[in-house]
Order: sequence, then structure tokens, then C-alpha cells
Amino acid sequence: MKQLLKLTACLLCLSACGEPQTSSRNPSPALAPIQKDTGTLLQGNANPYAAIDLSPMDIAYFPVDYPIAKMTNPNIGLPLARVIYSRPHRQNRKIFGTLLKYGEHWRLGANEATEIELFKDATIQNKTVRRGRYIMYCVPQPDNWTIVLNSNVYSWGLKQDAAQDKYRFQIPVEKATARVEFYTMVFQKTDTGANLLLAWDDVLARLPFSF
Amino acid sequence: MKQAFFALSLFAFGLTAAAQGTSVTNTAVINTAPKALPLDKSPMDMAYFPEDYPVLKIKDKAKEPLIARIIYSRPQKADRVVFGDLIEYGKVWRLGANEATEIEFFRDVKIDGKKVAKGKYTLYAIVNPDAWTLIVNKETDTWGSFKYDEKKDLLRVTLPVEKGQQPVDAFTLYFEKTTAGANLVMSWDDVKTTLPIALK
Repeated sequence: MKQLLKLTACLLCLSACGEPQTSSRNPSPALAPIQKDTGTLLQGNANPYAAIDLSPMDIAYFPVDYPIAKMTNPNIGLPLARVIYSRPHRQNRKIFGTLLKYGEHWRLGANEATEIELFKDATIQNKTVRRGRYIMYCVPQPDNWTIVLNSNVYSWGLKQDAAQDKYRFQIPVEKATARVEFYTMVFQKTDTGANLLLAWDDVLARLPFSF
Repeated sequence: MKQAFFALSLFAFGLTAAAQGTSVTNTAVINTAPKALPLDKSPMDMAYFPEDYPVLKIKDKAKEPLIARIIYSRPQKADRVVFGDLIEYGKVWRLGANEATEIEFFRDVKIDGKKVAKGKYTLYAIVNPDAWTLIVNKETDTWGSFKYDEKKDLLRVTLPVEKGQQPVDAFTLYFEKTTAGANLVMSWDDVKTTLPIALK
């Protein structure tokens, strides 16, 4: 349970953990050390090869929990969509307008750019979005978010190449009823397809997909 | 991803039903967020070959194309005996936690002299004290190894086990460059195994 306690302690006491930072293993000799974002590794997590991320990765499918559904229904066919993202936590910070500046690009997560894969064409705001893989990012404003689907896949989330933007959608934001500690992306079924719910702190937004 | 948490034993007893609107998953969770989507106790992670490709890419330093990416979840040793106890010898293991471990090749490669076409695969392992059988299977986007189907295997390869390293708490997968291509290194507790991947 030692590791779990450390994890929990880090989540509770946040950046106050006093254990020395353990770096990930050395980069291959051919490469200069790579500067990633600072503070992305969970402190005190000894691992000689690859430390655990402070903002762990997660995956969301539509249909919701598709891999589990497939166990009881092997003929379920392909999923419709899948999102892979990392989950920063709020740590008592003010997120929107402070940590994430209005009008600036946000990777909708942490670490790698958030990836969405559509297994068939979808429609968003009456626009056809072709099947395939995209990265997603957001331009948050107080009243709305612009969600961008971009073709520069397999990229880190800090620098978006706008020349590879494919689709842009403006969606309204809502006030969440309860604060969301861990940034969350999840599909919710609707009559015509699904909403991709994006929630963090006291803000949530929904990107509506029809399939 | 997780709507609820249930014990692994639910699967053992074949109880796959869940309360309406929720689903059965089989790992505990480490924290409860106000929303019903807590973090996994075994967080997901990703590894690339070339190593750190996404960072290199945005810095325009990616000299070689992306060859492989692995997506897996990272269970913790947490003071348990891992091999031979938590993971029983001779049984199919999902090589991680939660969703089955996915490897994607962005070009054709060779494993054990056999061609592996560009595409997505699921990896499993049958662990034994001296050797692992690594399985490359064609059924993707699947949960664990509960419905593992041998008929969908692309190949199996036997890999020797290295023992005696300083115990690694979190299960770790990573690629390292070799003259022939890359090794996928698998490491947990005091055990390390290496899958050679050839580019020609």
C-alpha cells in the first residue's frame, strides 16, 4: 500500500510533498535532454524507467464503456468514438481565466495533445466530420469555448499548428453544479448520438455528435 | 471512464450485471472527485518509439517517423508479491490493468521473424518463472483478458525473463532503440522482459 499512500498523500497535500523528485530514466544518448512541462511527474514515485504522471492518462469511449460492453456482446461492432486525454487536477487553483487564460489555446488536458478517433463519419453542428484521428484543443472564453479538431496527431499539447486545423466549433459553457477536481471528458448518449462532456472546476461544456 | 467500482471477483463469479446506468469495472479507485469519474488506481500511460516522439515533433526535432505507440495501464506492486501470486503463472495476463494493452505500428515490422502489418493490436502475456509467452492478438478496443480469443492471435513469441533488478513499483512499458529497430521493455517488480521488434 506504500505507493497508494504516496499517491493519495500527493493528491491531498498537492505540491507540498517533500520527497525528492525522481526523474524518469535517462534519455537515449543520441538525444539532448527533452524539456517537457515542469511538474508533470508524481513526486516520490521511484521508477527507473518511466515515472507515473501527475496528470494520469485516461480513455473515454462511445458507446460508453465499450470494451466492457464487448465482453458480453462480442458482435457489438466497432466503437463510434474514443478520446485519450490526460487529467490534471485542480489543486485549489482557479482554473478558467487564471490558470487557463481566456483566448489562449488549451490542450483540453495535460501532457500529450488530447486525441479523438472517430470510427465513422459524425456530424457536429450540421458539419460532417470525417472518420479518423484528430487532436483536439480549445480556446476558452468566459461564455463559450471554441473546440478545434486538428490533424497534427501524435504531438505534445503545448504548441498547436493552426495550419492543420480541420474543424472549429463554438459551444456554450455552463456552470457546473459541483466543482470537478479532475478534468473529465466523457460521452453521454443522446437521441441522435452523444454529447462529449468536458468538465473542470465549475465549468462544463458539451460538444454534440450525431452518428 | 469508470462509472463505478466493483471487485474483480464479480467477474470470477460471472456477474456482469450492474446497476442501471453504470457499468462494472474491476479496479478500485484512489480518490473521489465531485463528479462520478474518479481517477484510476492504475493510471493509463503511453510510450512511443522513437521515444518522446510528441515532444520531438512540436520542437521540429523528430528526425525519424513514428514507428510504434503503446497504450497501457500501470498497476502498482503495493507491497504485494506480483509474479506467481497476483499474476498467476501459466494464465493469460492483460499486460497492464483495465483496458487491454494496445500496441500500434505505423509501418510494417517483424517480430520473431514474422511480419506484423501496420495497424493496431492487443498484447497479452502468459507469465512463467523463466519465460514469458508474449501474444500479439488482432482483437482491439477490448477490456482485460477476460474474453481473450486464441483464434485471433497473430503470433506468440517466447521471451526469456531477467530477474534480480531493483523492484519496480509501477508496471512499466517503454521502447529502447536497437540496431535492428527497437525493444519493447516490460518491467514490474524484480522482473524484466524484452520484446525485440525489427524494422527489416
